[in-house]
Amino acid sequence: MGDQEKQYSTNHRKIALALSIIPGFGQFYNKQWMKGLGFFILTASFFIAFSDLIQFGFWGLVTLGTDPTYDHSITLLVEGILTVIVTVLGLAVYILNLRDAFKVGKQRDLNVAPNSIRQQYQNLVGGGFPYLMMTPGFLLLIFVVIFPILFVILLSFTNYNLYNSPPANLVDWIGFQNFLDIFQIPIWRETFFSVLAWTVIWTFGATTLQIALGIFLAVLMNQKEIKFQKIIRTIFILPWAVPAFVSILVFAGMFNETFGTINNDILALFGLEDTPWMTDPAYTKFALIMIQTWLGFPFIFAMVTGVLQSIPNELYEAADVDGATIMQKFKNITLPLVLYATAPIMITQYTFNFNNFNVIFLFNGGGPAVAGQNAGGTDILISWIYNLTMTSAQYGKAAAITMILSLIVITVALWQFRRTKSFQEEDMM
Amino acid sequence: MKKWLYVLFITFLAVGLLAACAPDREEESSSEGSSSEGSSSEDGMPEKPEKLVIWEDTDKGVGLDPAIESFEEEYGIEVEYEEMDMASTIRERLRLDGPAGTGPDVLTLPHDQIGQLAIEGLLAPLNVDESVTGIYTDASVQAQTYDGQLYGLPKATETPVFIYNKEHMEEAPETFEELFEFSQEFGGDGQYGFLGVWDDFYHANAVISGFGGYVFNNEDGTLNPQDIGLNNEGAIEGAAYIQKWYDEIFPNGIIGENGGSAKDGLFQDGDAASIQDGPWAFQALNDIGMDYGVAPLPELPNGDYPQTFIGVKGWHVSAQSDHQEWATELVKWIANEENAKVRYEETNEIPPVTALIEDPVIADNERASAVAIQSERGVPMPNIPEMSEVWGPMADALQLIATGESTPEDALNEAVETINSQIELNHSGN
Repeated sequence: MGDQEKQYSTNHRKIALALSIIPGFGQFYNKQWMKGLGFFILTASFFIAFSDLIQFGFWGLVTLGTDPTYDHSITLLVEGILTVIVTVLGLAVYILNLRDAFKVGKQRDLNVAPNSIRQQYQNLVGGGFPYLMMTPGFLLLIFVVIFPILFVILLSFTNYNLYNSPPANLVDWIGFQNFLDIFQIPIWRETFFSVLAWTVIWTFGATTLQIALGIFLAVLMNQKEIKFQKIIRTIFILPWAVPAFVSILVFAGMFNETFGTINNDILALFGLEDTPWMTDPAYTKFALIMIQTWLGFPFIFAMVTGVLQSIPNELYEAADVDGATIMQKFKNITLPLVLYATAPIMITQYTFNFNNFNVIFLFNGGGPAVAGQNAGGTDILISWIYNLTMTSAQYGKAAAITMILSLIVITVALWQFRRTKSFQEEDMM
Repeated sequence: MKKWLYVLFITFLAVGLLAACAPDREEESSSEGSSSEGSSSEDGMPEKPEKLVIWEDTDKGVGLDPAIESFEEEYGIEVEYEEMDMASTIRERLRLDGPAGTGPDVLTLPHDQIGQLAIEGLLAPLNVDESVTGIYTDASVQAQTYDGQLYGLPKATETPVFIYNKEHMEEAPETFEELFEFSQEFGGDGQYGFLGVWDDFYHANAVISGFGGYVFNNEDGTLNPQDIGLNNEGAIEGAAYIQKWYDEIFPNGIIGENGGSAKDGLFQDGDAASIQDGPWAFQALNDIGMDYGVAPLPELPNGDYPQTFIGVKGWHVSAQSDHQEWATELVKWIANEENAKVRYEETNEIPPVTALIEDPVIADNERASAVAIQSERGVPMPNIPEMSEVWGPMADALQLIATGESTPEDALNEAVETINSQIELNHSGN
């Protein structure tokens, strides 16, 4: 550093940086009038527009209100999050301003002429164009995605429930109490773990089956000997074309124990017409996994069919020459290539089923009842959270369980993604 | 590294400073106080607002029109109404719009939501004379009362009744025993003499309370959530009676989440001779042109009548309304005897006004009078928020009883234990 400092005969960069504490003035000092004016107007309008929000936003976020007659804790929480987002955006522009003044000052110190307005414009349009195009979408994402996530995270540290609901009362910060309660209060702990266990079985059972069936049918349909391939393929895609909730409701009717066609027409042929599909948890679980397999396999089937057609035939010919059996060919050529191309999507299928609310809720509402716990026999975490929130108004606690659930999904997804070959640089072919 | 420490330090300082910026309350409160005081007129009522807004149930606004017209004439205050689903939309919107200042002045709600919304501070207690509340049935006023305070005036009442297909049944049976015998002999395979979704606690309460069970003990008008009577002797006897019906008459197909629609389908197809259902079922039956009769539920084997849950829809004043006094006037106006009668004629919803129940318009109408008579025999659904913990465990217990997987005693004890712990968990200490 010492050697470098000596090279500068002037000190424009430091002066520009110091002046930039009031945004725009550093640029004025560098004689970049338009840019300076831009920064100055931006800052001024920022303070004019947001001064109220920033003034009370942090106060609201920290206290969540002090007097229920005037303060609505949830509104304050929302405004607080907005304040944080706005402040971060403001600081980003401010840092950009400092950095710009310093950089241009340094250029002047090195006796390089600063960019003219025309050059600045070209820089902006040339180098900054992708960023410029991204900005509206990015801002939208901040408010549509990041904002609700922050809201749930913060909510899980509050005691927001029926008795602390605004406008009559205030919500307070309670730290990790919600999380501790879930693991310490027996009825919640027991229900949590039994629901978690079924959620895991459900996720792996249903997803693995739908993937296996999809791949099996795709490979089968890809054999050259099979006729009417197009018609059969179309039929296999059909379950995908019907909206899932319609299929589920139809299935719920078909599985009805007394009037449903499954018991009355199909199983009656085998003398099994009294199967308790809706009233015995084990049977309901079995039916649910079968239904999800039905709903989910066409997507895998369609995707794998596409991949199969891109596998070069030479690989199979070479295998034939080496005398490989069908199973060997499948195990060593087809499966690795299919999984290589589709693994990320397969993993998202697992995370999707982990939170597959529709099937559980529409088929039997999480039922049938099980003695000794406050969730139904087929409730998965997400449908249990739904019931907890809707019947007990335990918003804070539901947010805490949501956090635990997200943590599980994120961890598993990240771990699997990292292990997947698709995300490593090496080439498979 | 050190630079970052400075930046962090400064940031904390700035946030700390900003966090200390509390809004100046003194000014706000004083200015608000003076504005409301200065505008009151001589008769003790504040100045008239330009208009009042009502939130009414979907498609029920026609019953309001005449009342609004006469109110506008009498007081010169414009009244507007907006229609939306009463079961959940009004509550959800009130939570957001009320505090934001864009909510209604007057709204309608099913009475079992009163407790919750009163605790949240969204409903204002009503200050009205005995002479106003005196015209309604006791049960309906009780339904509108939470924690000793009146939160609304009753608008309409409904409760499950006995609906029978006149093709299969000439007249309603006097007792459930008669009905049971009839059901044993009625029809053939897939045909049922009587159906009730008794694994849904809303409907099952008719039997359970009829035999002597109760949800929360009513102690001088206040419900005590610590005293649950759902596993007392009467309740167990009632549950055993429910189990008997499922054992010998009811098909398993009406158990569970979709049981209600299975029951509706059977009745509408003529495969069930009679059902237990509420007045909301009438419309579908009229649409398919069925010739049906309606009666109060028959007598239970213990000689008592089934105590169905009464649902009371009421008119309430929003706690966030700027014109609560005038909103109260409006509630009194639209809920009075004359306007209740007009509303009944337009909407067929039965007003719990004592004089009207004896009035020929209701007394001579078989359906309306059946609902009115059954309403007198029923109990108002508890309106305290603890009730939300009862539905789930009771539905679970009744399902176990209906499928015969549990004895009534075990299932109900289990349910009450769950309800107690849930109440302690979610409703204690506050």
